[in-house]
Amino acid sequence: MIRKLLVILVTLVLYGCSEEDSIFSSEAEGSVTNYDEDLHGTYASTYVPLDSENIVIRNATVFDGIGNKFQNYDVHFSNGEIQAIGSELIVDGADEIDGTGKFVTPGIIDNHSHMGVYPAPGVRTSSDGNEATNPVTAEVWAEHSVWSQDPQYKLALAGGITTFHVLPGSANLFGGRGVTLKNVSANTVPDMKFPDAPHSLKMACGENPKRVYSSRGPSTRMGNVAGYRDAWIGAEKYKKSLEKDPSQRNLRNETLVGVLDGEILVHNHCYRADEMATMINISEEFGYKVSTFHHGVEAYKIADLLADEGICAALWADWWGFKHEAYDMSIANIAIVDQARDGTGCAIVHSDSASGIQRLNQEAAKALAAGRRAGFDISEGRAMTWITKNPAKSLGILDQTGTLEQGKDADLVIWNGNPFSVYTKAEQVYIDGALTFDKATNFMPHTDFDLGIKEWEDK
Amino acid sequence: MGGQIMKLFKILLLLPFIVFSDADDMYVIKGGMTFLPDGSFAKKDILVDEGQIILVADTIGDVGAENIIDAEGKYVTPGLIVFSSLGLLEIGALPQTNDTSSDIYNAGFDPSKAYNPFSQAVRLNRAKGVSSTVHVPGASGYFAGLLTYTKINDGYKQKKQGPLGLVTSYGESYGDSRAAQLHFMEDLFDFVRSANDGDADEVQFIEGTNNEYKFTKRDLKAIRKVLNREMPLVIQVSKATDILNVLKFADNQEVDLVLWGAAEAHMVADEIARAGVPVILDPLDNIPGSFDSLNATYENVIRLNEAGVEMAFYYAQGAGAHNAYLATQSAGNSVAMGLDYSSAMKAITSNPAEIFGLVGVGSIAPGFDADLVVWDGDPLELMSNVESVLIDGEDQDLSNRYEELTERYTKEKELPNSYRSRE
Repeated sequence: MIRKLLVILVTLVLYGCSEEDSIFSSEAEGSVTNYDEDLHGTYASTYVPLDSENIVIRNATVFDGIGNKFQNYDVHFSNGEIQAIGSELIVDGADEIDGTGKFVTPGIIDNHSHMGVYPAPGVRTSSDGNEATNPVTAEVWAEHSVWSQDPQYKLALAGGITTFHVLPGSANLFGGRGVTLKNVSANTVPDMKFPDAPHSLKMACGENPKRVYSSRGPSTRMGNVAGYRDAWIGAEKYKKSLEKDPSQRNLRNETLVGVLDGEILVHNHCYRADEMATMINISEEFGYKVSTFHHGVEAYKIADLLADEGICAALWADWWGFKHEAYDMSIANIAIVDQARDGTGCAIVHSDSASGIQRLNQEAAKALAAGRRAGFDISEGRAMTWITKNPAKSLGILDQTGTLEQGKDADLVIWNGNPFSVYTKAEQVYIDGALTFDKATNFMPHTDFDLGIKEWEDK
Repeated sequence: MGGQIMKLFKILLLLPFIVFSDADDMYVIKGGMTFLPDGSFAKKDILVDEGQIILVADTIGDVGAENIIDAEGKYVTPGLIVFSSLGLLEIGALPQTNDTSSDIYNAGFDPSKAYNPFSQAVRLNRAKGVSSTVHVPGASGYFAGLLTYTKINDGYKQKKQGPLGLVTSYGESYGDSRAAQLHFMEDLFDFVRSANDGDADEVQFIEGTNNEYKFTKRDLKAIRKVLNREMPLVIQVSKATDILNVLKFADNQEVDLVLWGAAEAHMVADEIARAGVPVILDPLDNIPGSFDSLNATYENVIRLNEAGVEMAFYYAQGAGAHNAYLATQSAGNSVAMGLDYSSAMKAITSNPAEIFGLVGVGSIAPGFDADLVVWDGDPLELMSNVESVLIDGEDQDLSNRYEELTERYTKEKELPNSYRSRE
């Protein structure tokens, strides 16, 4: 279906149909950039799901990803989609899995990963995560660095990760575009790309850009801010000039104008509370919206502001102290952001780590415990949204995945116990209804890199 | 030690009539599920006096202790012994706050001399159940320096033991050919063996090279301790074939060995066990992060345990030493992978003590230092909290900057935060 739409759209673009005829007219409204072509044209997702199972999981404990935890619940999926969840579902012709004692959650989503762009083994020759040659490299796309044979993907899969967002590094004010991938084995990057996931733009505050560019500038935080504003002013000019000459191309500005047009989502690495507030000011000056602040060790200091602005904060449970801007840690950070303004905050547990991504459920558990210790009444169901619904929302894919609602992609995990326990392991992972990981039979993808050198496999 | 045994003898005879003179120092931890040296949990009372565990018994009556800690329904473990740079490094990216490595000294460098007991990282880790650390030097040359054991109690005075070992590395992390690394170690050890103690203050081992190959008297002294088997060589090594090389090297040189990191140790687990060499590692290291660790796997601890290798765990993920207390998470995951609970718990308490011959720490038994932690749930579980920490029999202040920050931002406020009193 999606691919059919793509063909129609590309045809429309190629043959210059008027906007009213376009089925994507609402998305494209006011846009004079190349964004639709970026999303649906040459670089479009070519992902094809494996064949879906038709399965009903019986009598499990089910986290729906919206905030609920149901006991003795069934989950039915087929044709790549969640068909229903409920108690004692009546389903014909589906395979049955006894879920007694097991837990089912939506597929876990990490919205901050560098797998593929900093693959394993970590050697210079495949270290492709940061074009640290200029403070503004909005023109680069992480998907053009991703190595499809990174042996780290399957390790994340064993931890229940079905979708992850790969970002460029944080050396630059504007690091380039990020890409959202399904955690599937493929030989090309487009074959992994999450269909229709919006592009993202990585921005970075604070210590990293001013350290990397200290000799040429920016070398201060105020220099950083002047750098963002200069770039946005340039983008505005470019946008205007497109009206006169729509055929011109400028990769850097195409990304920035995509943000100004509301099509590309801003993912902003930013630790300190005062800097996040400044970044919000900048977004107001130029009329764009920040989707998510990443790392935000001080997000708890402005939790109300983030809730008011509808900005998500993607955070670690307990990382701190590795640099000055990560010194004011609170282990309750995630909980405080979540509970701001009567629980309207959008908190996300992210990894930024090929190790942490394997245990995002455990990181959520620690954050939940810290929140309760700080006096918040937070349910496990609510904490589950930090690694499912909220990252999906932050990436603009909540209409497709992130919860176990009817019609969503059948991305889900069966755990052998409560995912908030250290002793729990993912038993099976399904992506679009297809089994991609099965602990019992040691079934999982093996990249080409794995062949010949892996004498032992995780059991 | 003799005095302790006498004391224990007296208590056994006199209980419950005994009255101690300085009752302030006495604690009884009552009714907690206590992790015992045999690896089991059992409901016990623990009597602590003058910094030491005096008695562990099913019930201890009224001995006049002023301090009673009710641990009913809770867990009691030895204080965690971590491997870290706690108190040596405040902020990773700020060299001003980093005392973990030296450019002047190599083998003889003891970073624990720089220990800052008021480091925020120390206070946080203490509040999370850590009672002591083996200080690990950061590598700068061929030899990183010495391991030293330090209690992390509040106040200016800490008990130390050491040096415990000389840290070096083998494999791709150093750079020169693995063959040259072996030549170097062999030649250096032969050289130090043949050199007299009355030699010059400083020795340039290989002429015309940089500081790395220049050894001060302090450095030579450290190497001699290894050659005299007063402490082991601790080698950071990952690759299976490299591990075999260093096992052979240690055997030929007749020195004691501890393996560190050892991602591929599972491939040569029997050889390691046969050599009686312990391994210190993070069970979570399962990423083929370098060409030396292509076979990294969660199975590492399982296979090493099956082969009978003694292990101690550290936590090397995320923020590393700042969160050294998360050794509990590493240990908990090793249980999820199939290791028995008792081995996992020992790997973060008694095994570090055993491996380095630490005296009187790491176990809950009479005569041991009273380094004890009371937890509100399974100590290896992610959602359990620490309730009390005793170090050398003193109840520790568990407040820390991070709890204060949390409180400051979770309470109703009229004035700006900075005007509100510090609680």
